[in-house]
Amino acid sequence: MQWSLSAVRWLSVSVLMVLVSVATASPARAQGSADPNPGSLTLTGGFDFANAYFFRGIFQDDTGVVMWPSGELGVALHSGDGVLKSVSVNVGMWNSLHTGDAGSNGPSGKLWYESDFYTGASFGFGRTTVGVTYTAYSSPNQMFGTVKELSFKVAVDDSGLLGAASVKPYALLAQELDGQADGGANEGTYLELGIGPGYSLSKMTVTVPVKVGLSLSDYYEGITGDETFGFASVGGVVTIPLTSAPTRFGSWNIHGGVEFLMLGDRNEAVFGDSSHVIGSVGIGLSY
Amino acid sequence: MLSMSRVRKNAQALAAATCTTLILASTPAWAQDAASADPNPGALTITGSVDFLNQYMFRGIQQNNTGFATWPAFDLGLAAYSGDGGLKSVNINFGTWNSLHNGNTGSDGPSGKLWYESDFYATVGFGFGGGSSFSTTYTAYTSPNSGFTTVKEVMFKYALDDSGYLGKAAIKPYLAIAQEFDTEPGVGQADGGANAGTYMEIGFAPGYAASKASIAFPIKIGLSLSDYYENPLTGEDSKFGYFSIAGIVTVPLGGTTSFGSWNIHGGVEYQALGDTTKFFNGDEGNQVIGSFGLGFSY
Repeated sequence: MQWSLSAVRWLSVSVLMVLVSVATASPARAQGSADPNPGSLTLTGGFDFANAYFFRGIFQDDTGVVMWPSGELGVALHSGDGVLKSVSVNVGMWNSLHTGDAGSNGPSGKLWYESDFYTGASFGFGRTTVGVTYTAYSSPNQMFGTVKELSFKVAVDDSGLLGAASVKPYALLAQELDGQADGGANEGTYLELGIGPGYSLSKMTVTVPVKVGLSLSDYYEGITGDETFGFASVGGVVTIPLTSAPTRFGSWNIHGGVEFLMLGDRNEAVFGDSSHVIGSVGIGLSY
Repeated sequence: MLSMSRVRKNAQALAAATCTTLILASTPAWAQDAASADPNPGALTITGSVDFLNQYMFRGIQQNNTGFATWPAFDLGLAAYSGDGGLKSVNINFGTWNSLHNGNTGSDGPSGKLWYESDFYATVGFGFGGGSSFSTTYTAYTSPNSGFTTVKEVMFKYALDDSGYLGKAAIKPYLAIAQEFDTEPGVGQADGGANAGTYMEIGFAPGYAASKASIAFPIKIGLSLSDYYENPLTGEDSKFGYFSIAGIVTVPLGGTTSFGSWNIHGGVEYQALGDTTKFFNGDEGNQVIGSFGLGFSY
Protein backbone atom coordinates (compact mmCIF):
# COMPACT_ATOMS: atom_id res chain seq x y z
CA MET A 1 0.00 0.00 0.00
CA GLN A 2 1.48 3.29 -1.06
CA TRP A 3 1.79 6.10 1.44
CA SER A 4 1.85 9.53 -0.09
CA LEU A 5 4.86 11.68 0.73
CA SER A 6 2.66 14.30 2.37
CA ALA A 7 1.00 11.67 4.56
CA VAL A 8 4.37 10.33 5.64
CA ARG A 9 5.67 13.80 6.42
CA TRP A 10 2.49 14.62 8.32
CA LEU A 11 2.70 11.41 10.31
CA SER A 12 6.42 11.82 11.00
CA VAL A 13 6.08 15.40 12.14
CA SER A 14 3.06 14.49 14.27
CA VAL A 15 4.89 11.61 15.95
CA LEU A 16 7.89 13.82 16.62
CA MET A 17 5.73 16.62 18.02
CA VAL A 18 3.82 14.24 20.30
CA LEU A 19 7.02 12.64 21.58
CA VAL A 20 8.76 15.96 22.13
CA SER A 21 5.68 17.38 23.84
CA VAL A 22 5.31 14.38 26.13
CA ALA A 23 9.02 14.37 26.92
CA THR A 24 9.33 18.05 27.62
CA ALA A 25 5.96 18.87 29.16
CA SER A 26 6.23 16.57 32.16
CA PRO A 27 4.38 17.96 35.17
CA ALA A 28 6.47 19.55 37.87
CA ARG A 29 6.22 16.55 40.14
CA ALA A 30 7.82 14.43 37.46
CA GLN A 31 10.94 16.53 37.22
CA GLY A 32 13.88 15.54 39.32
CA SER A 33 16.87 13.32 39.53
CA ALA A 34 15.13 10.19 40.85
CA ASP A 35 15.74 7.20 38.62
CA PRO A 36 12.38 6.28 37.07
CA ASN A 37 13.66 2.81 36.25
CA PRO A 38 15.97 1.23 38.83
CA GLY A 39 15.21 -2.31 37.64
CA SER A 40 17.22 -4.59 35.38
CA LEU A 41 15.53 -3.80 32.08
CA THR A 42 16.39 -0.78 29.98
CA LEU A 43 14.68 0.55 26.91
CA THR A 44 16.30 2.64 24.23
CA GLY A 45 14.71 3.91 21.08
CA GLY A 46 15.12 6.39 18.30
CA PHE A 47 13.45 7.86 15.26
CA ASP A 48 15.78 9.41 12.73
CA PHE A 49 15.35 11.05 9.35
CA ALA A 50 18.09 11.03 6.72
CA ASN A 51 18.55 12.07 3.12
CA ALA A 52 20.32 8.86 2.10
CA TYR A 53 21.04 5.35 3.33
CA PHE A 54 24.31 3.48 2.80
CA PHE A 55 24.84 0.19 4.62
CA ARG A 56 28.53 -0.13 5.39
CA GLY A 57 29.27 1.88 2.30
CA ILE A 58 26.89 -0.09 0.09
CA PHE A 59 24.35 2.20 -1.54
CA GLN A 60 20.69 1.61 -0.64
CA ASP A 61 18.78 4.79 -1.50
CA ASP A 62 19.27 8.53 -1.84
CA THR A 63 15.83 9.59 -3.04
CA GLY A 64 12.95 10.82 -0.93
CA VAL A 65 13.04 10.67 2.84
CA VAL A 66 14.63 7.82 4.78
CA MET A 67 13.30 7.13 8.28
CA TRP A 68 14.92 4.89 10.89
CA PRO A 69 12.67 3.88 13.78
CA SER A 70 14.41 1.59 16.24
CA GLY A 71 13.96 0.09 19.67
CA GLU A 72 16.03 -2.07 21.96
CA LEU A 73 15.39 -3.87 25.21
CA GLY A 74 18.41 -4.53 27.41
CA VAL A 75 18.54 -6.94 30.33
CA ALA A 76 21.28 -6.50 32.94
CA LEU A 77 21.99 -10.06 34.08
CA HIS A 78 25.04 -9.50 36.22
CA SER A 79 26.87 -6.66 37.88
CA GLY A 80 29.89 -7.23 40.09
CA ASP A 81 33.31 -6.10 41.24
CA GLY A 82 35.36 -9.00 39.88
CA VAL A 83 37.14 -9.20 36.57
CA LEU A 84 33.80 -9.63 34.86
CA LYS A 85 32.04 -6.41 35.77
CA SER A 86 28.80 -6.86 33.86
CA VAL A 87 26.82 -9.21 31.67
CA SER A 88 23.87 -8.06 29.65
CA VAL A 89 21.73 -9.36 26.83
CA ASN A 90 19.79 -7.26 24.43
CA VAL A 91 17.17 -7.71 21.76
CA GLY A 92 16.08 -5.07 19.32
CA MET A 93 14.73 -3.97 15.99
CA TRP A 94 16.05 -1.42 13.53
CA ASN A 95 13.99 -0.35 10.54
CA SER A 96 14.41 1.74 7.42
CA LEU A 97 11.36 3.31 5.81
CA HIS A 98 11.78 4.92 2.40
CA THR A 99 9.56 7.25 0.44
CA GLY A 100 11.92 7.12 -2.55
CA ASP A 101 13.04 4.56 -5.10
CA ALA A 102 13.70 1.77 -2.59
CA GLY A 103 10.34 2.34 -0.89
CA SER A 104 6.89 3.64 -1.63
CA ASN A 105 7.97 5.37 -4.85
CA GLY A 106 9.75 2.27 -6.14
CA PRO A 107 8.70 -0.97 -7.82
CA SER A 108 7.28 -2.49 -4.64
CA GLY A 109 5.17 0.54 -3.83
CA LYS A 110 5.82 -0.21 -0.15
CA LEU A 111 7.48 2.03 2.40
CA TRP A 112 9.12 -0.59 4.64
CA TYR A 113 12.46 -1.28 3.00
CA GLU A 114 14.40 -2.90 5.80
CA SER A 115 13.66 -4.55 9.12
CA ASP A 116 16.53 -5.88 11.19
CA PHE A 117 16.07 -8.09 14.19
CA TYR A 118 19.04 -8.59 16.44
CA THR A 119 19.93 -10.17 19.73
CA GLY A 120 23.22 -10.21 21.54
CA ALA A 121 25.19 -10.52 24.72
CA SER A 122 27.93 -8.28 26.04
CA PHE A 123 30.49 -8.77 28.75
CA GLY A 124 32.05 -5.83 30.52
CA PHE A 125 35.61 -6.03 31.83
CA GLY A 126 36.23 -2.63 33.32
CA ARG A 127 36.46 -0.18 30.47
CA THR A 128 36.55 -2.92 27.85
CA THR A 129 33.38 -4.54 26.56
CA VAL A 130 33.22 -7.66 24.40
CA GLY A 131 29.98 -8.38 22.60
CA VAL A 132 28.49 -10.91 20.23
CA THR A 133 25.41 -10.18 18.14
CA TYR A 134 23.24 -12.16 15.77
CA THR A 135 21.40 -10.03 13.20
CA ALA A 136 18.82 -10.92 10.56
CA TYR A 137 18.54 -8.15 7.96
CA SER A 138 15.26 -8.58 6.11
CA SER A 139 13.35 -6.54 3.56
CA PRO A 140 9.57 -6.45 4.07
CA ASN A 141 9.10 -4.88 0.62
CA GLN A 142 11.21 -7.67 -0.90
CA MET A 143 13.97 -5.38 -2.20
CA PHE A 144 16.76 -7.68 -1.03
CA GLY A 145 17.17 -11.21 0.27
CA THR A 146 17.48 -11.80 3.99
CA VAL A 147 21.06 -11.58 5.30
CA LYS A 148 21.95 -13.38 8.52
CA GLU A 149 25.10 -12.37 10.31
CA LEU A 150 27.11 -13.05 13.43
CA SER A 151 29.32 -10.22 14.68
CA PHE A 152 31.82 -9.72 17.44
CA LYS A 153 32.77 -6.34 18.86
CA VAL A 154 35.44 -5.11 21.24
CA ALA A 155 35.03 -1.57 22.53
CA VAL A 156 36.90 0.59 25.02
CA ASP A 157 35.15 3.36 26.91
CA ASP A 158 37.82 5.84 27.92
CA SER A 159 35.38 8.41 29.27
CA GLY A 160 36.83 10.12 32.29
CA LEU A 161 40.43 9.39 31.41
CA LEU A 162 40.74 12.42 29.16
CA GLY A 163 38.64 14.89 31.09
CA ALA A 164 35.48 15.83 29.26
CA ALA A 165 36.84 14.27 26.08
CA SER A 166 36.89 10.63 25.03
CA VAL A 167 38.00 8.59 22.00
CA LYS A 168 36.06 5.31 22.43
CA PRO A 169 37.85 3.04 19.96
CA TYR A 170 36.26 -0.20 18.77
CA ALA A 171 36.69 -3.08 16.34
CA LEU A 172 33.84 -5.05 14.84
CA LEU A 173 34.16 -8.34 12.98
CA ALA A 174 31.09 -9.69 11.18
CA GLN A 175 30.59 -12.96 9.35
CA GLU A 176 27.66 -13.49 6.98
CA LEU A 177 25.99 -16.82 7.65
CA ASP A 178 23.33 -16.82 4.96
CA GLY A 179 22.62 -14.17 2.33
CA GLN A 180 24.96 -11.37 1.35
CA ALA A 181 24.94 -7.61 1.68
CA ASP A 182 26.80 -7.22 -1.63
CA GLY A 183 24.65 -9.74 -3.49
CA GLY A 184 27.85 -11.48 -4.51
CA ALA A 185 28.86 -15.09 -4.97
CA ASN A 186 30.06 -15.90 -1.46
CA GLU A 187 29.25 -14.98 2.12
CA GLY A 188 31.57 -12.26 3.29
CA THR A 189 33.62 -11.35 6.33
CA TYR A 190 33.62 -7.70 7.35
CA LEU A 191 35.92 -5.70 9.62
CA GLU A 192 35.15 -2.25 10.93
CA LEU A 193 37.56 -0.11 12.90
CA GLY A 194 36.36 3.07 14.45
CA ILE A 195 36.60 5.72 17.08
CA GLY A 196 33.94 7.96 18.53
CA PRO A 197 35.76 10.94 19.99
CA GLY A 198 33.42 13.21 21.81
CA TYR A 199 33.20 16.19 24.06
CA SER A 200 30.51 16.95 26.60
CA LEU A 201 29.38 20.51 27.10
CA SER A 202 26.86 21.70 29.65
CA LYS A 203 23.91 21.68 27.26
CA MET A 204 24.98 19.22 24.60
CA THR A 205 27.39 16.51 23.50
CA VAL A 206 29.45 16.63 20.33
CA THR A 207 30.89 13.45 18.82
CA VAL A 208 33.00 12.95 15.74
CA PRO A 209 32.70 9.28 14.73
CA VAL A 210 35.35 8.05 12.33
CA LYS A 211 35.30 4.57 10.85
CA VAL A 212 36.73 2.38 8.13
CA GLY A 213 34.94 -0.61 6.62
CA LEU A 214 37.05 -3.42 5.17
CA SER A 215 36.39 -6.77 3.56
CA LEU A 216 38.45 -9.57 5.04
CA SER A 217 36.87 -11.98 2.59
CA ASP A 218 34.22 -11.53 -0.12
CA TYR A 219 32.34 -8.71 1.60
CA TYR A 220 32.69 -6.21 -1.25
CA GLU A 221 32.54 -8.42 -4.33
CA GLY A 222 32.55 -6.56 -7.65
CA ILE A 223 33.15 -7.44 -11.27
CA THR A 224 36.89 -7.59 -10.63
CA GLY A 225 36.57 -9.69 -7.49
CA ASP A 226 36.62 -8.78 -3.83
CA GLU A 227 37.84 -5.33 -2.87
CA THR A 228 39.32 -4.90 0.60
CA PHE A 229 38.55 -1.23 1.10
CA GLY A 230 34.81 -0.61 1.37
CA PHE A 231 34.47 2.85 2.80
CA ALA A 232 35.74 5.44 5.21
CA SER A 233 33.53 7.93 6.96
CA VAL A 234 33.80 10.87 9.26
CA GLY A 235 30.83 12.52 10.88
CA GLY A 236 29.80 15.16 13.33
CA VAL A 237 26.84 14.58 15.64
CA VAL A 238 25.33 17.00 18.14
CA THR A 239 23.05 15.59 20.84
CA ILE A 240 20.93 17.88 22.98
CA PRO A 241 19.10 16.46 26.02
CA LEU A 242 15.51 17.64 26.25
CA THR A 243 15.61 17.77 30.03
CA SER A 244 18.47 18.41 32.44
CA ALA A 245 17.69 15.24 34.41
CA PRO A 246 15.78 12.02 33.74
CA THR A 247 12.02 12.43 33.99
CA ARG A 248 9.51 9.70 34.72
CA PHE A 249 9.41 9.26 30.94
CA GLY A 250 13.16 8.62 30.87
CA SER A 251 15.82 10.69 29.16
CA TRP A 252 15.03 12.13 25.76
CA ASN A 253 17.21 13.96 23.31
CA ILE A 254 17.23 15.44 19.86
CA HIS A 255 20.26 14.92 17.71
CA GLY A 256 21.47 15.76 14.28
CA GLY A 257 24.57 15.39 12.23
CA VAL A 258 26.40 15.19 8.97
CA GLU A 259 28.46 12.26 7.69
CA PHE A 260 30.97 12.38 4.86
CA LEU A 261 31.39 9.03 3.15
CA MET A 262 34.29 8.02 0.90
CA LEU A 263 33.68 4.85 -1.07
CA GLY A 264 35.96 2.12 -2.37
CA ASP A 265 35.99 1.24 -6.05
CA ARG A 266 33.35 -1.47 -5.80
CA ASN A 267 30.91 0.71 -3.87
CA GLU A 268 31.71 3.69 -6.09
CA ALA A 269 30.84 1.61 -9.15
CA VAL A 270 27.45 0.70 -7.66
CA PHE A 271 26.64 4.23 -6.49
CA GLY A 272 28.13 6.12 -9.40
CA ASP A 273 30.17 8.52 -7.30
CA SER A 274 33.16 8.22 -5.00
CA SER A 275 31.69 10.13 -2.06
CA HIS A 276 28.45 11.31 -0.54
CA VAL A 277 27.25 13.53 2.27
CA ILE A 278 24.48 12.26 4.51
CA GLY A 279 22.50 14.53 6.79
CA SER A 280 20.28 13.26 9.57
CA VAL A 281 18.14 14.49 12.45
CA GLY A 282 16.21 12.55 15.04
CA ILE A 283 14.88 11.98 18.50
CA GLY A 284 16.17 9.46 21.02
CA LEU A 285 14.98 7.85 24.23
CA SER A 286 16.74 6.06 27.04
CA TYR A 287 14.71 4.59 29.91
CA MET B 1 1.62 -36.17 9.83
CA LEU B 2 4.45 -33.85 10.80
CA SER B 3 7.59 -33.75 8.70
CA MET B 4 10.91 -34.21 10.49
CA SER B 5 11.84 -30.57 9.95
CA ARG B 6 8.56 -29.51 11.47
CA VAL B 7 9.06 -31.85 14.40
CA ARG B 8 12.51 -30.31 14.82
CA LYS B 9 11.08 -26.79 14.76
CA ASN B 10 8.42 -27.74 17.29
CA ALA B 11 11.07 -29.29 19.48
CA GLN B 12 13.29 -26.22 19.17
CA ALA B 13 10.42 -23.93 20.09
CA LEU B 14 9.51 -26.07 23.08
CA ALA B 15 13.16 -26.24 24.16
CA ALA B 16 13.50 -22.46 23.90
CA ALA B 17 10.35 -21.91 25.93
CA THR B 18 11.47 -24.45 28.51
CA CYS B 19 14.94 -22.88 28.84
CA THR B 20 13.44 -19.42 29.20
CA THR B 21 11.02 -20.68 31.81
CA LEU B 22 13.83 -22.34 33.75
CA ILE B 23 15.96 -19.19 33.63
CA LEU B 24 13.08 -17.11 34.89
CA ALA B 25 12.04 -19.62 37.49
CA SER B 26 15.60 -19.76 38.82
CA THR B 27 15.97 -16.03 39.29
CA PRO B 28 19.12 -15.33 41.32
CA ALA B 29 18.89 -14.45 44.96
CA TRP B 30 19.81 -10.81 44.48
CA ALA B 31 16.87 -10.39 42.17
CA GLN B 32 14.51 -12.13 44.60
CA ASP B 33 15.60 -9.75 47.35
CA ALA B 34 14.07 -6.90 45.45
CA ALA B 35 10.83 -8.77 44.89
CA SER B 36 8.74 -6.35 46.89
CA ALA B 37 10.16 -3.17 45.31
CA ASP B 38 8.74 -1.79 42.10
CA PRO B 39 11.57 -2.06 39.58
CA ASN B 40 9.93 0.50 37.34
CA PRO B 41 8.14 3.36 39.12
CA GLY B 42 8.37 5.64 36.07
CA ALA B 43 5.72 6.44 33.51
CA LEU B 44 6.75 3.94 30.84
CA THR B 45 5.52 0.37 30.89
CA ILE B 46 6.90 -2.43 28.75
CA THR B 47 4.94 -5.56 28.01
CA GLY B 48 5.86 -8.43 25.76
CA SER B 49 4.99 -11.99 24.98
CA VAL B 50 5.64 -14.89 22.68
CA ASP B 51 2.91 -17.45 22.02
CA PHE B 52 2.70 -20.66 20.06
CA LEU B 53 -0.54 -21.79 18.41
CA ASN B 54 -1.72 -24.58 16.18
CA GLN B 55 -3.93 -22.20 14.19
CA TYR B 56 -4.19 -18.46 13.50
CA MET B 57 -7.66 -17.06 12.92
CA PHE B 58 -7.95 -13.27 12.53
CA ARG B 59 -11.43 -12.32 13.64
CA GLY B 60 -12.61 -15.70 12.39
CA ILE B 61 -10.75 -15.52 9.08
CA GLN B 62 -8.32 -18.43 8.64
CA GLN B 63 -4.70 -17.38 8.12
CA ASN B 64 -2.91 -20.74 7.99
CA ASN B 65 -3.93 -24.36 7.80
CA THR B 66 -0.67 -26.23 8.26
CA GLY B 67 2.20 -25.92 10.71
CA PHE B 68 2.00 -23.65 13.72
CA ALA B 69 2.06 -19.94 14.38
CA THR B 70 4.41 -18.06 16.69
CA TRP B 71 3.33 -14.66 17.97
CA PRO B 72 6.04 -12.35 19.35
CA ALA B 73 4.60 -9.06 20.57
CA PHE B 74 5.91 -5.94 22.26
CA ASP B 75 4.15 -2.87 23.65
CA LEU B 76 5.36 0.38 25.12
CA GLY B 77 2.90 2.29 27.26
CA LEU B 78 3.21 5.91 28.36
CA ALA B 79 1.17 7.06 31.32
CA ALA B 80 0.69 10.60 30.07
CA TYR B 81 -1.76 11.76 32.71
CA SER B 82 -3.17 10.61 36.01
CA GLY B 83 -5.67 12.59 38.04
CA ASP B 84 -8.63 12.52 40.40
CA GLY B 85 -11.21 14.34 38.28
CA GLY B 86 -13.67 12.89 35.82
CA LEU B 87 -10.77 12.02 33.58
CA LYS B 88 -8.67 9.61 35.62
CA SER B 89 -5.94 8.74 33.16
CA VAL B 90 -4.56 9.22 29.67
CA ASN B 91 -2.35 6.55 28.19
CA ILE B 92 -0.50 6.28 24.91
CA ASN B 93 0.64 2.93 23.59
CA PHE B 94 2.84 1.89 20.69
CA GLY B 95 3.41 -1.68 19.80
CA THR B 96 4.20 -4.36 17.31
CA TRP B 97 2.51 -7.75 17.00
CA ASN B 98 3.86 -10.42 14.70
CA SER B 99 2.88 -13.82 13.38
CA LEU B 100 5.56 -16.24 12.19
CA HIS B 101 4.37 -19.31 10.30
CA ASN B 102 6.17 -22.48 9.38
CA GLY B 103 3.21 -23.80 7.41
CA ASN B 104 1.50 -23.08 4.12
CA THR B 105 1.44 -19.29 4.63
CA GLY B 106 5.00 -19.14 5.95
CA SER B 107 8.27 -20.92 5.37
CA ASP B 108 6.55 -23.93 3.74
CA GLY B 109 4.48 -21.68 1.46
CA PRO B 110 5.15 -20.00 -1.87
CA SER B 111 7.21 -17.19 -0.32
CA GLY B 112 9.42 -19.58 1.63
CA LYS B 113 9.54 -16.94 4.36
CA LEU B 114 8.51 -17.32 7.98
CA TRP B 115 7.34 -13.78 8.75
CA TYR B 116 3.68 -13.74 7.72
CA GLU B 117 2.35 -10.73 9.59
CA SER B 118 3.73 -7.64 11.28
CA ASP B 119 1.31 -5.17 12.82
CA PHE B 120 2.16 -1.73 14.06
CA TYR B 121 -0.34 0.07 16.24
CA ALA B 122 -0.69 3.25 18.26
CA THR B 123 -3.41 3.80 20.85
CA VAL B 124 -4.64 6.74 22.86
CA GLY B 125 -6.76 5.68 25.81
CA PHE B 126 -8.80 7.68 28.31
CA GLY B 127 -9.81 6.29 31.68
CA PHE B 128 -12.89 7.63 33.44
CA GLY B 129 -14.51 7.08 36.79
CA GLY B 130 -16.37 3.86 37.49
CA GLY B 131 -13.87 1.74 35.58
CA SER B 132 -14.94 2.83 32.12
CA SER B 133 -12.42 3.61 29.42
CA PHE B 134 -12.43 4.72 25.82
CA SER B 135 -9.61 4.23 23.36
CA THR B 136 -8.77 4.86 19.74
CA THR B 137 -6.28 2.65 17.94
CA TYR B 138 -4.67 2.95 14.53
CA THR B 139 -3.29 -0.33 13.21
CA ALA B 140 -1.36 -1.14 10.07
CA TYR B 141 -1.48 -4.87 9.38
CA THR B 142 1.40 -5.69 7.04
CA SER B 143 2.74 -8.92 5.60
CA PRO B 144 6.53 -9.08 5.21
CA ASN B 145 6.25 -12.27 3.14
CA SER B 146 3.53 -10.73 0.94
CA GLY B 147 0.88 -13.13 2.21
CA PHE B 148 -1.67 -10.29 2.04
CA THR B 149 -1.84 -6.61 1.24
CA THR B 150 -1.45 -4.01 3.97
CA VAL B 151 -4.67 -3.31 5.87
CA LYS B 152 -5.08 0.02 7.67
CA GLU B 153 -7.70 0.39 10.33
CA VAL B 154 -8.98 2.75 12.99
CA MET B 155 -10.71 1.17 15.96
CA PHE B 156 -12.74 2.69 18.75
CA LYS B 157 -13.25 0.72 21.93
CA TYR B 158 -15.33 1.21 25.03
CA ALA B 159 -14.58 -1.05 27.98
CA LEU B 160 -15.91 -1.33 31.49
CA ASP B 161 -13.91 -2.80 34.33
CA ASP B 162 -16.69 -3.78 36.70
CA SER B 163 -14.37 -5.28 39.30
CA GLY B 164 -15.27 -2.42 41.63
CA TYR B 165 -18.95 -3.43 41.53
CA LEU B 166 -18.84 -7.18 41.16
CA GLY B 167 -15.49 -8.06 42.68
CA LYS B 168 -14.37 -11.51 41.62
CA ALA B 169 -17.53 -11.97 39.58
CA ALA B 170 -16.58 -9.12 37.23
CA ILE B 171 -17.32 -9.76 33.56
CA LYS B 172 -15.43 -6.80 32.04
CA PRO B 173 -17.60 -6.13 28.99
CA TYR B 174 -16.37 -4.19 25.97
CA LEU B 175 -17.51 -3.01 22.58
CA ALA B 176 -15.18 -2.28 19.68
CA ILE B 177 -15.86 -0.88 16.23
CA ALA B 178 -13.15 -0.90 13.56
CA GLN B 179 -13.15 0.78 10.17
CA GLU B 180 -10.83 -0.19 7.31
CA PHE B 181 -9.61 2.67 5.16
CA ASP B 182 -7.36 3.36 2.17
CA THR B 183 -8.67 0.34 0.30
CA GLU B 184 -9.24 -0.75 -3.27
CA PRO B 185 -11.11 -3.80 -4.51
CA GLY B 186 -9.17 -6.79 -3.21
CA VAL B 187 -6.56 -4.57 -1.57
CA GLY B 188 -6.25 -3.38 2.02
CA GLN B 189 -9.06 -5.51 3.41
CA ALA B 190 -9.03 -8.40 5.85
CA ASP B 191 -11.53 -10.32 3.69
CA GLY B 192 -9.87 -9.36 0.38
CA GLY B 193 -13.29 -8.12 -0.71
CA ALA B 194 -14.58 -5.35 -2.90
CA ASN B 195 -15.23 -2.67 -0.29
CA ALA B 196 -13.70 -1.39 2.93
CA GLY B 197 -15.32 -3.10 5.89
CA THR B 198 -16.69 -2.01 9.23
CA TYR B 199 -16.29 -4.51 12.04
CA MET B 200 -17.94 -4.71 15.43
CA GLU B 201 -16.88 -6.90 18.33
CA ILE B 202 -18.73 -7.42 21.58
CA GLY B 203 -17.04 -9.32 24.34
CA PHE B 204 -16.73 -10.22 27.98
CA ALA B 205 -13.80 -11.51 29.95
CA PRO B 206 -14.99 -13.08 33.20
CA GLY B 207 -12.23 -14.55 35.26
CA TYR B 208 -11.00 -15.61 38.63
CA ALA B 209 -7.64 -14.91 40.20
CA ALA B 210 -6.17 -17.21 42.85
CA SER B 211 -2.83 -16.91 44.60
CA LYS B 212 -0.94 -19.25 42.27
CA ALA B 213 -2.80 -18.78 39.02
CA SER B 214 -5.61 -16.94 37.31
CA ILE B 215 -8.15 -18.23 34.86
CA ALA B 216 -10.16 -16.22 32.33
CA PHE B 217 -13.03 -17.18 30.05
CA PRO B 218 -13.09 -14.58 27.27
CA ILE B 219 -16.23 -14.68 25.14
CA LYS B 220 -16.65 -12.59 22.02
CA ILE B 221 -18.69 -12.24 18.91
CA GLY B 222 -17.47 -10.62 15.69
CA LEU B 223 -19.95 -8.97 13.34
CA SER B 224 -19.80 -7.10 10.07
CA LEU B 225 -21.58 -3.77 10.18
CA SER B 226 -20.68 -3.26 6.53
CA ASP B 227 -18.67 -5.33 4.04
CA TYR B 228 -16.32 -6.87 6.59
CA TYR B 229 -17.11 -10.48 5.76
CA GLU B 230 -17.65 -10.40 1.99
CA ASN B 231 -17.98 -13.82 0.40
CA PRO B 232 -15.37 -14.14 -2.37
CA LEU B 233 -17.77 -16.06 -4.62
CA THR B 234 -21.10 -14.30 -4.12
CA GLY B 235 -19.90 -10.91 -2.85
CA GLU B 236 -22.56 -11.11 -0.19
CA ASP B 237 -21.65 -9.64 3.17
CA SER B 238 -22.18 -12.05 6.04
CA LYS B 239 -23.22 -10.17 9.17
CA PHE B 240 -22.15 -12.91 11.53
CA GLY B 241 -18.42 -13.50 11.44
CA TYR B 242 -17.68 -15.72 14.38
CA PHE B 243 -18.38 -16.54 17.98
CA SER B 244 -15.53 -17.43 20.31
CA ILE B 245 -15.24 -18.83 23.80
CA ALA B 246 -11.96 -19.69 25.46
CA GLY B 247 -10.39 -20.77 28.70
CA ILE B 248 -6.97 -19.35 29.55
CA VAL B 249 -4.83 -20.16 32.58
CA THR B 250 -2.03 -17.78 33.55
CA VAL B 251 0.62 -18.78 36.08
CA PRO B 252 2.95 -16.05 37.43
CA LEU B 253 6.64 -16.92 37.56
CA GLY B 254 8.08 -15.86 40.89
CA GLY B 255 6.37 -12.55 41.53
CA THR B 256 7.79 -9.15 40.64
CA THR B 257 11.58 -9.05 40.42
CA SER B 258 14.04 -6.55 39.02
CA PHE B 259 13.22 -8.15 35.65
CA GLY B 260 9.52 -7.34 36.00
CA SER B 261 6.64 -9.78 36.24
CA TRP B 262 6.69 -12.90 34.10
CA ASN B 263 4.12 -15.56 33.48
CA ILE B 264 3.40 -18.63 31.46
CA HIS B 265 -0.05 -19.07 30.04
CA GLY B 266 -1.99 -21.49 27.95
CA GLY B 267 -5.49 -22.09 26.77
CA VAL B 268 -8.00 -23.48 24.34
CA GLU B 269 -10.36 -21.45 22.19
CA TYR B 270 -13.41 -22.64 20.30
CA GLN B 271 -14.71 -20.62 17.35
CA ALA B 272 -18.05 -21.07 15.58
CA LEU B 273 -17.88 -19.47 12.16
CA GLY B 274 -20.34 -17.61 9.96
CA ASP B 275 -20.92 -18.30 6.27
CA THR B 276 -17.97 -16.30 4.88
CA THR B 277 -15.50 -17.31 7.56
CA LYS B 278 -16.61 -20.92 7.14
CA PHE B 279 -15.80 -20.63 3.44
CA PHE B 280 -12.32 -19.29 4.27
CA ASN B 281 -11.90 -22.20 6.70
CA GLY B 282 -12.33 -24.87 4.01
CA ASP B 283 -16.08 -25.19 4.70
CA GLU B 284 -15.41 -26.18 8.28
CA GLY B 285 -17.83 -24.32 10.52
CA ASN B 286 -15.86 -24.81 13.72
CA GLN B 287 -12.28 -24.35 14.79
CA VAL B 288 -10.44 -25.29 17.96
CA ILE B 289 -7.23 -23.40 18.75
CA GLY B 290 -4.68 -24.39 21.35
CA SER B 291 -2.02 -22.02 22.57
CA PHE B 292 0.66 -21.55 25.16
CA GLY B 293 3.18 -18.82 25.73
CA LEU B 294 5.36 -16.66 27.88
CA GLY B 295 4.57 -13.08 28.88
CA PHE B 296 6.13 -10.27 30.85
CA SER B 297 5.24 -6.87 32.16
CA TYR B 298 7.73 -4.30 33.35
